[in-house]
Amino acid sequence: MLEVLQNIFTAQNAISGILLGGLFAVLGVGMTIIFGIVKLTNLAHGEFVILGAFCSTLISQALDIDPILTLIITIPLMFIIGMVLQSVLINRVMLQGSEPALLVTFGLSIILQDAMLLLFSADARKMNPSYAQSNISLPGGLYIPVLDLILLIISLVTILVLTLFLRRTYMGRAIRATSDDIVAASLMGVSIKKAYAVAMGIAMATAAVAGLCVGMRWTFYPSSGGEYLLRAFGVVVIGGMGSIPGALVGGLVFGLAQVFGGASYGLLASYVVLIIMLAVRPQGLFSK
Amino acid sequence: MKKAENLSTRQQPIRVLGGLPMLIIGIILVAVLVVLVFVGSSNTRRILTNVFLYCTMACMWNLLSGFTGMTSLGQQTFVGVAGYSMAVMVTTYGMSYIVGWIVGGAIGAVLALVLSLILFRMRGMYFAIATWVIAEALKTWFTSWGFVGKGGGMTVAGRPDRTMVCLLALILCVVAIVLIYFLLNSKIGLGLTAMRDDADAASSVGVNIFRSKLICFVIAGLFCALAGGLYYRYNGTILPGSGFDIEWTVSLVFIVIIGGIGTMAGPIVGTVVYIALDEFLAKYSGWSNIILGLIAILVILFLPDGILGTLQKKLHFEILSQRRFSKE
Repeated sequence: MLEVLQNIFTAQNAISGILLGGLFAVLGVGMTIIFGIVKLTNLAHGEFVILGAFCSTLISQALDIDPILTLIITIPLMFIIGMVLQSVLINRVMLQGSEPALLVTFGLSIILQDAMLLLFSADARKMNPSYAQSNISLPGGLYIPVLDLILLIISLVTILVLTLFLRRTYMGRAIRATSDDIVAASLMGVSIKKAYAVAMGIAMATAAVAGLCVGMRWTFYPSSGGEYLLRAFGVVVIGGMGSIPGALVGGLVFGLAQVFGGASYGLLASYVVLIIMLAVRPQGLFSK
Repeated sequence: MKKAENLSTRQQPIRVLGGLPMLIIGIILVAVLVVLVFVGSSNTRRILTNVFLYCTMACMWNLLSGFTGMTSLGQQTFVGVAGYSMAVMVTTYGMSYIVGWIVGGAIGAVLALVLSLILFRMRGMYFAIATWVIAEALKTWFTSWGFVGKGGGMTVAGRPDRTMVCLLALILCVVAIVLIYFLLNSKIGLGLTAMRDDADAASSVGVNIFRSKLICFVIAGLFCALAGGLYYRYNGTILPGSGFDIEWTVSLVFIVIIGGIGTMAGPIVGTVVYIALDEFLAKYSGWSNIILGLIAILVILFLPDGILGTLQKKLHFEILSQRRFSKE
């Protein structure tokens, strides 16, 4: 028993878990923004992530460039899709209440899933850049996979840029004001619908980044969205709605649960952590 | 403006279609269906079985979401568990499928009771996502559990007597509808709708929220499990990916939205539309979910009360309902 535990809780696993944490954080950060600002449960977030993964894969194949460079195209593309989606469809449904809006995102998720199945076939995909297999050796027989390190850096940069945008720019302040008090914000001249549209655009842009990371780290299918939606939701629940530092902590918890659970029980371990968290402290660790 | 609207709706009396005429129509309908089950072709029987089972589950989802405000995205938990119980009882232990069916239902009800301990601590979207997470966790567990054949799933041994299964499905569906009707017309039903509209206010006037919610959740778990058991006896094979598929709840949500959430007969109308669409769209495989999703979004945008809900509002009638049950 002790030996099994020692095999699981190794320093190497801890390193992998922490590195994966960044990926899970960026997965959850788009969801947490929509929760916290638009007050919407976006059940299509997993499909958005997979859509991002497909876009990156296809663009990097077509232009024969490194997958990371595809972000130059996918981030603006997904940002625009998100803005259009929010202003054309979701803003309108949200007038009817939170439940119809939830069901509309549910409808969107099944539409997107089958559309991707038709467009890209059911085959497993993965992006394999040249550095995917290399490692950096550390003293004591430990090592850091280069790919995981790069993904962690991408995730952290994304979250940093997002935090700076929300804190330092006019639009960012408007969005945060909307999230705190809709009436007061609109009295101060903030266009609520525009703020929501930009927030959804940002969430989609983070989904593009998350999609790139997911597509480089694991194989994915058009039907993988649900799995990543639940992980994103888990990150949000652990961290607390709308909290970006919370998303980082949630991502870390999920990364560790995934690694310590191993290949066969990693997902199950993540779900169990999530259910316990929902039952014990549903408002999250970092809620206001 | 709002006051004027209220006055105009008050002037139009709402006719409640219920009582003896509705009972007679219902009995005739059931009699026709029984005859169809026996004389119909095997394809008719397959379609009818689907209609009965989906109608049962949709009525239960409507009870949860439309009348008590518990939007569950995890009814597939009960379908999958009951399907596996059926397969284990029949294939592994050599019991008859009736035993497997009843065991599946019992396990579904007990599971609902156990899950309520965790789930009832949450409200709204937390509840919705938690139910889904539980189903996904079970799917992952069953995929790596040797006793139930891991990812390869299980086959229910023997050839089913499909006429009998279809008849059982019809009985299940009728019992479900009658049960929900009496439940909603009881004191519990009044408390439930009060709770859906404002949980805190209902609680403060003495509605026992926990008990009412528990009764509904366990009944819904029981009937979804019974429907799932019959479905997998009829179709023979269960996989972790099919038994615990979110697709089950997708269909139920679609049916209830199309028919009219929070109306008694909405799920029945919705089921007929859904199964008809499903049969029609089978020719265009790959497109069915896209079209279903589009229809669902359009209905939410333009007919938020669903087909039956909109008709009821326009023509001022309600089927099998009392005024107090319509959602304002």
